Amino acid sequence: MMSLIKTDLVKVLKMQYLFKFKANIDVFSSLIGIQLLAVLFSFGGFYHSTHGWGMVINLQQYSANIVICFTFIWALITAITITTKPYRHYDFTFVTNRLSSSLSNILFLLTVSVLGSITAMLSSNLIKFIVYMFLDDSIVLFKQPFFDFFTGMITTSLYTFLFCSIGYLVGAFIQYHKGFSVVIPVLFMGLLIFDGMTMNSTTITGFTEFYIKESNPFYFLLKTILMSSLVLTAAISIFNHLEVER
Amino acid sequence: MKIIECRDISKMYFRQKALEQLTFSIEENKITGLIGRNGAGKTTLLKLISGFIKPTAGEIKVFSEQPFNNLFVSANSILVDDSMSFPAALNLGDIMDAAAAFYSNWHQPLAEGLLDYFSLEKYKYHNRLSKGQTSTFNMIIGLASRCPLTLFDEPTIGMDAAVRKDFYRALLKDYLAFPRTIVLSSHHLEEIEHLLEDVLLIKNGQCLLHLPIYDVKEMMISVEGKLAIADQVLQEKEIIYEQSIGTNHVHRVLLREEASVEELQGAERMGLKIRPVNASDACVYLTDKGKGVIDDVFNKN
Repeated sequence: MMSLIKTDLVKVLKMQYLFKFKANIDVFSSLIGIQLLAVLFSFGGFYHSTHGWGMVINLQQYSANIVICFTFIWALITAITITTKPYRHYDFTFVTNRLSSSLSNILFLLTVSVLGSITAMLSSNLIKFIVYMFLDDSIVLFKQPFFDFFTGMITTSLYTFLFCSIGYLVGAFIQYHKGFSVVIPVLFMGLLIFDGMTMNSTTITGFTEFYIKESNPFYFLLKTILMSSLVLTAAISIFNHLEVER
Repeated sequence: MKIIECRDISKMYFRQKALEQLTFSIEENKITGLIGRNGAGKTTLLKLISGFIKPTAGEIKVFSEQPFNNLFVSANSILVDDSMSFPAALNLGDIMDAAAAFYSNWHQPLAEGLLDYFSLEKYKYHNRLSKGQTSTFNMIIGLASRCPLTLFDEPTIGMDAAVRKDFYRALLKDYLAFPRTIVLSSHHLEEIEHLLEDVLLIKNGQCLLHLPIYDVKEMMISVEGKLAIADQVLQEKEIIYEQSIGTNHVHRVLLREEASVEELQGAERMGLKIRPVNASDACVYLTDKGKGVIDDVFNKN
């Protein structure tokens, strides 16, 4: 008799993870595209002006904030994209089960979050360099200590991964029932308006402040990791029941 | 050893029954033809076996395990059909490399040989292939991965006659070199009957018969001749299929076991033509929807 192939989750995960880098290569080109666009928008800078003691001080601040914001949006969209049918079905052409498919997706998202964050952080140097060379040579460059860059990168990665996780869950809901593609945006906008009307940060804004206002790095780390794992566990359990309708 | 075991499996899609209490089992290293009319439930059954979907009721075992969400079953089986999904970013060569990584029995020389024979270039992209080329490429993936359980769902869609013939020959040759369990669903039984050992015939989601192909070939006989004589000879016999030819000639099909050899010889002497019914036609008669023949639609008007 023909011998059957024994396999284990770790082996399959490794193959799927490597496969996803080749299969989802367009994720990287969209990252580069969106970050370059954000770099372009960053040339305006943030303008501050103060006056007093007979002086007027104009301050133009250039930073990678827009790039980071765009990276978050990219993370959300990427995560939703890889939950769509064609992307999920690649796995089922080869060896997979639903758990390994989700776990390899999550590992892939984690990796691209870190890569996207590194390039976003580095883009701040590109912005300052281009502004200094071509636009405004009165620029004063501040040295960025390596430690700041390092913490910045970790924080950005965690935020980006959180956006990925949320996107993955949103995608899972939409794959579970198409109706969620209407319900979720409506709910999101509605809650934002609700927060605005009640002048109270309870729902979406409350959730955002819960992260942004956290100044303790350890708690921040804990909060994001807990939240991501909670969201991803929910997504995995939804995908675990989905059938392949190719 | 039984590779596939189904007991009373049913599958519902939005309150519509695709499969109903299907029970059968498939032995190791056999080539089984899964035959049925359009919408009989062939694809649903193959998707259940590969663990893509869950049965609504009943039990299905592949390699003695439940196939849904099962890595072991996934590693040892492959479902080849025209909607196999491959990343648009990968060309055919990359897809073959990926298949080689996932399927440990993958036979690269075979894959490359077939790719070359069917004039498919490695740098081409899967979504730019024609319908027939897509089927051909998917078939190459299915053959070269040499999975212990290989499922083909209408693998020849879009292939021209020459490629279909080559495909069946390649399938048989590789099966002999590397025996495995193969389930092949097709509308063209006459094209694949020389490959098959068993036939699994399904109708309206139910298993109609599961027999060796030889028995199916021997199952029926057709009687053709004058209406009056046919009526006389075949009275009290159960007719499976009937078609009038002109006004006073008729063509009738009945089970071979219905008539004894002497009766048939007698009928031939009276001028009736007795012929065996080939497996393909036998399956068509068995899966007849009971709405008569296509001629009736035109005769009404």
